[in-house]
Amino acid sequence: MNRRGQWLAIALVAAGAALAGFAFNAWRSAPQAAAADATAALLDARLPDLDGRPQAVQQWNGRVIVVNFWATWCAPCRDEIPILVKLQEKHGPRGLQFVGIAIDQPDKVRPYATEMRMNFPILIGGAETIELTRKLGNRAGVLPFTVIISRDGRIVAREIGAAKEAQLEAQLLPLL
Amino acid sequence: MMKIRHPGAGRGPVTRLWIPAVVAMTILALLLAAPLRAAEPDLLEPDKAFRFSARVVAADAIELRYLVAPGYYLYRDKFRFRIEPETVQPGTPDLPPGEKKKDEFFGEVQTYRGEVRFRLPITNTASADAITLTATSQGCADVGVCYVPHDQTARLNLASAAVQPSSGAQAERGAQAGLGAAVRPEPVEGGTAATPADRFAVSNDDSAIARLFDGGVALLIASFFGFGLLLSFTPCVLPMVPILSGIIVGRGTQLTKTHALLLSGAYVLGMAITYAVAGVLAGLSGAMLSAALQNAWVLGSFAAIFVLLSGAMFGFYELQLPSALQTRLAVATNRLHGGHFAGVFAMGALSALIVGPCVAAPLAAALLYISKSGDVVLGGSALFAMALGMGVPLMVVGASAGTLMPKVGPWMETVKRFFGVLLLGVAIYLVAPLVPIAVEMLAWAALLVITGIHLRAIDPLPAGAHSFDRIAKGVGVIALVAGIAFVVGALSGSRDVLQPLAGLRSAASAPETAGAPLFTRVASADELDRAIASARGRPVMLDFYADWCVSCKEMERYTFTNAQVKTRMDAIAKLQVDVTANTAEHQALLRRFRLFGPPGIVFFDGDGREIDGLRVIGFQPADRFGKVLDQVLAFERTTAASAR
Repeated sequence: MNRRGQWLAIALVAAGAALAGFAFNAWRSAPQAAAADATAALLDARLPDLDGRPQAVQQWNGRVIVVNFWATWCAPCRDEIPILVKLQEKHGPRGLQFVGIAIDQPDKVRPYATEMRMNFPILIGGAETIELTRKLGNRAGVLPFTVIISRDGRIVAREIGAAKEAQLEAQLLPLL
Repeated sequence: MMKIRHPGAGRGPVTRLWIPAVVAMTILALLLAAPLRAAEPDLLEPDKAFRFSARVVAADAIELRYLVAPGYYLYRDKFRFRIEPETVQPGTPDLPPGEKKKDEFFGEVQTYRGEVRFRLPITNTASADAITLTATSQGCADVGVCYVPHDQTARLNLASAAVQPSSGAQAERGAQAGLGAAVRPEPVEGGTAATPADRFAVSNDDSAIARLFDGGVALLIASFFGFGLLLSFTPCVLPMVPILSGIIVGRGTQLTKTHALLLSGAYVLGMAITYAVAGVLAGLSGAMLSAALQNAWVLGSFAAIFVLLSGAMFGFYELQLPSALQTRLAVATNRLHGGHFAGVFAMGALSALIVGPCVAAPLAAALLYISKSGDVVLGGSALFAMALGMGVPLMVVGASAGTLMPKVGPWMETVKRFFGVLLLGVAIYLVAPLVPIAVEMLAWAALLVITGIHLRAIDPLPAGAHSFDRIAKGVGVIALVAGIAFVVGALSGSRDVLQPLAGLRSAASAPETAGAPLFTRVASADELDRAIASARGRPVMLDFYADWCVSCKEMERYTFTNAQVKTRMDAIAKLQVDVTANTAEHQALLRRFRLFGPPGIVFFDGDGREIDGLRVIGFQPADRFGKVLDQVLAFERTTAASAR
């Protein structure tokens, strides 16, 4: 094999590699398309609150809704709760509405919510809620997972992992 | 014997396709695959972050093993276990102490990283032959997220104390009916829900490669040792052995045989440790990328690389380290002195880096192979064993002063070509789940026939042929005949690699199949529920069918006609949904079973509950489908027994 052949072989491998990478990427970003249906499903969801009364997420339509999926057993989730409480306090009057959906047991959540003085509604989610978050873009099914829904009911941001205060606030301000 | 052409001899300047180029390209491909959305950490699927397996270790205990990916951890106190059938009860697991972690809300919690194994006692084991263990675990990633409680299942055979990891066994050939079936997510593991990320997954078992050596780790390591030994018989290694031995032992010094053997051993050990490090690195890269390694495109490119590497073994081109680098390493080696253990050990370690043209391609393949399995320990030990194998002739020469060595000759070229054939075989094996079985069979046929022809299967032997030539021709004829069998089988409609000619047999005995329709048709969820209810006491099999579904037709033609399958199916109520028209009711039914479309067979027990983990997706040959039916019927018996 001569030098040309060598380059040909390298080019072939490179092309194969690029194709594999491209296909893999396309495959990974595909779930976003399905997210529109999932948004509707989230807004349609009715989940029990801490007193067991079913609450529709829709009741907060028209405000900027930040749905935060969390649990008390999830340390990174607990880290971000004070930030959410603070931002709710600060921007609530301007139409910001945090909604916490805990993948947890109500009697674990209740004392925690009291202790942290959580000032936004908390709903309790189950297995189907986890499925819903997967459709919303949380492929691996992890917590915390946060979606920001604009006043006109579109998901404008989703975040896996705990939010940083400044970053979250910067995302929210233009929407308010 | 094959015609021998010494690579490099009598040809222009030797071209080198660099291993680094190939390896870098592979890594680049996988990096390209990194998520574009910057905000999102690249998280592993829970099944990959926390790899689960279980086996029966005693009459009343199961050993569970979690392999936690680096950067992830599991909570010690969050495990929960459930066993089906419920007559068998899990006891308290014997959890080892974990890493202590301060948690401001829960106080001290313990976590596991790396590998964790523990025993789970089970009671009342006499009541079931096989159980399905569902282990629920909870864990987090250091990047600051936690996974929701995650179910993983294993089907364990108590009777024989052997284990079928449910993920692999069922999915194994499930995707074989072609890419159409391969893109269908199938939660073979009972509790693990299908996610969009599974769309391209070939199967839930990403250690497809490890199944090549089903006998287990010991066999794999033995194979690598054998490959290493064979590699030392290639034309660019064996002639060097006596020279190398001279350098190691140190010229001009009088040494006892034992001393020479020990010195050679030190050299080999140095070499083996370098190889082991390479193996560990390959395993690590695989563990980090294991989610990507299930992807059809990645598997395809791996296979393509194997094909390219095999070219080097057939002498189409040469593959080795850049000569500048080789020279520099050789100079460094020469500075070390032979005859001293430390010096010889360092020489061995360095020599491993000088990868010659015969070894480069198989070594690159071995590393790819290890990275595919994603097993760090396995990678290290396999490559260590391979290096030990490569070192055997050196030790023999050291100990025997050269008297025990095979004669250098053109036969070494055959050894090299053998590796070429082996690499092509691995390439076919890798893509097998992605292509229709017929294509796989034809690929095997091509490989076997060409190998056979190369071994002069149809050339006449000269009158005074050496017995070695006669053996080679014999092997060639076997390969040729087997290859032809594959072609005939594939063209006559056999869809079983292990029984290529089975198609002929069933075609000959098939004519009486056009009897009463096998299945009762149902068209909606209501009809299905009614049909399941009316089958009370009998297990139910629900087949999703469509006119356009090729593997559905294959099932009808090759599998359902099999006598043994038929007998077993007699005990089962058989329902079928024809979703060709694709009405709203059909879609609702597909959604209910989380299927995207046919082919798919779902089983229900006598109480009308779906049996998890026993779904059949895609074509299955009669013997495998028969085993699934056995499990369905066995399940039936155990539930009936527990009801009594």
